[in-house]
Amino acid sequence: MKASFLHQELDLTNCSSIILDCQNVDKPKIIVEKGTHKYVLTTNFHSGCEMEIMIEEDGILHLSFLASENIDNSKITANLQNNAQLSAYFADFSLDKEKIDIVINLRGDNALAYWHLASLAANKDQKEFDVSIYHFGRNTSAISNNYGVCKDSSKLIFSGCSSINKGSHGSKTRQNAKIMVFDQNCDAIARPLLKIDEKDIEASHGAVVGKIPDEHLFYLTSRGLNEFEAKKLITFGYLKPIIRGFKEKDMQDQIINLIERRM
Amino acid sequence: MATLIIKNLHATVDGKEILKGVDLTIKQGETVALLGPNGHGKSTLLNVIIGHPRYLVTAGSIYFDEIDILSLSVDQRAKLGLFFAMQNPVEIPGVINSDFLRAAVNTHKEKPISTYNFYKILDQATKELKMPFDLATRSLNEGFSGGEKKRNEILQLLLLEPKIALLDEIDSGLDVDAMQTVADVIKKEQAKGMGFLVISHYARLFELIKPTRAVILINGKIVLDGDESLIRRIDQTGYEFIKTELGIDVEKDDANMNKVSIGSCGIKDMVR
Repeated sequence: MKASFLHQELDLTNCSSIILDCQNVDKPKIIVEKGTHKYVLTTNFHSGCEMEIMIEEDGILHLSFLASENIDNSKITANLQNNAQLSAYFADFSLDKEKIDIVINLRGDNALAYWHLASLAANKDQKEFDVSIYHFGRNTSAISNNYGVCKDSSKLIFSGCSSINKGSHGSKTRQNAKIMVFDQNCDAIARPLLKIDEKDIEASHGAVVGKIPDEHLFYLTSRGLNEFEAKKLITFGYLKPIIRGFKEKDMQDQIINLIERRM
Repeated sequence: MATLIIKNLHATVDGKEILKGVDLTIKQGETVALLGPNGHGKSTLLNVIIGHPRYLVTAGSIYFDEIDILSLSVDQRAKLGLFFAMQNPVEIPGVINSDFLRAAVNTHKEKPISTYNFYKILDQATKELKMPFDLATRSLNEGFSGGEKKRNEILQLLLLEPKIALLDEIDSGLDVDAMQTVADVIKKEQAKGMGFLVISHYARLFELIKPTRAVILINGKIVLDGDESLIRRIDQTGYEFIKTELGIDVEKDDANMNKVSIGSCGIKDMVR
């Protein structure tokens, strides 16, 4: 099993695997000790849950979340020391109104973070994901990819700041936010923000909110798919890549089922 | 055998009339070369037949297999047995080619095809087209070369087995070997009884697939319907004889240059 990590492939085959059940835990903590490599699958991440993550020097953490219940007012904070690496995949099929904050602090030199969010908002859901990445160490790198599908009368907001602080020269950061809107009554906002306080760095962002291009629908329907089938295929294509962050086949199947059910 | 019958077809795009009374009949089993200068309505005709929503039919009729298809949606027309191989197939990021192909194949079947049978016919078709099998595992048309996109169109034709296929410049972007491969596939399908309406600006493709008829579309109308010798004549002398022999003035293509967008960065909030 390999997972994408920045532009490299992260081999998960031999890393120790942990299932973190947050059902009765309000403040779960993950500590990756110096030089170790962990894969953590988080289940039952819930409303009000505040997760703290510490990745010590040369440690690597691959973290996967599957959210299918309400996760309002929850928070994830990660701190990375020298040469630490974090790749985090968050599959959000939760319901109702919620605000989730993710803060990743790249404190040590050469720390790397990859964040991938796939979120589906439907019915009257109101969701906001604030994903902020702070670069403190030198030569730190981060990519934040946030993909959303917004349908019915739902609202979906992607916000957050990628901040390169004084002293973190040689650092690179990239923020992507893309939301596909399906219906006239839904509301989607992608609000990326870059704060730069150092020279000799690379920082960029991209944000797109839009409906499915008519030409895509035309192409698919011209092969016999009706509009619903075509939209479903496109949505799958948009959200399904999140499954590469999950090692377990049953989790991957569960995500596919959730996309199908919510569509 | 299905027949496509187009009568007095008028169509507009963005308020401008492009088709001004097209009459054309194509029988399954025929291969018709659709010729004409740029901007006179060839691609528009194909788009209107398949039902592209951007084109508005203002008069006339199209019957396929004795069914009035103008009242049908695009997917219903495809299910009846029409196929449109596009000039510029779109790239759809994230949609895996094989997922799409299987979904498309299933729309033409009463029972979904089994995984084994699907990969069997996919393997056979990719081999016939000399396509690398990994194209099936990539995002639909994304990052494909021009030639790969065109072969992917013909791959879909092979899998969907339409009664009549509309090919819009399927040879552009193909090198000599690839054109031969595509032509061989078309010839096999011709032998099985598939009908074709083919647009191309090059005589080479027509030499290979040997159309049964050639028609010329000028000023939004079919002005000449003849045999394949028309293709050679146009290849050698152009469309000048239309004016001198038929007395038809060939309108100049006065379309504006394409509007070009050089990318953007920022928030596009289309639905607020």
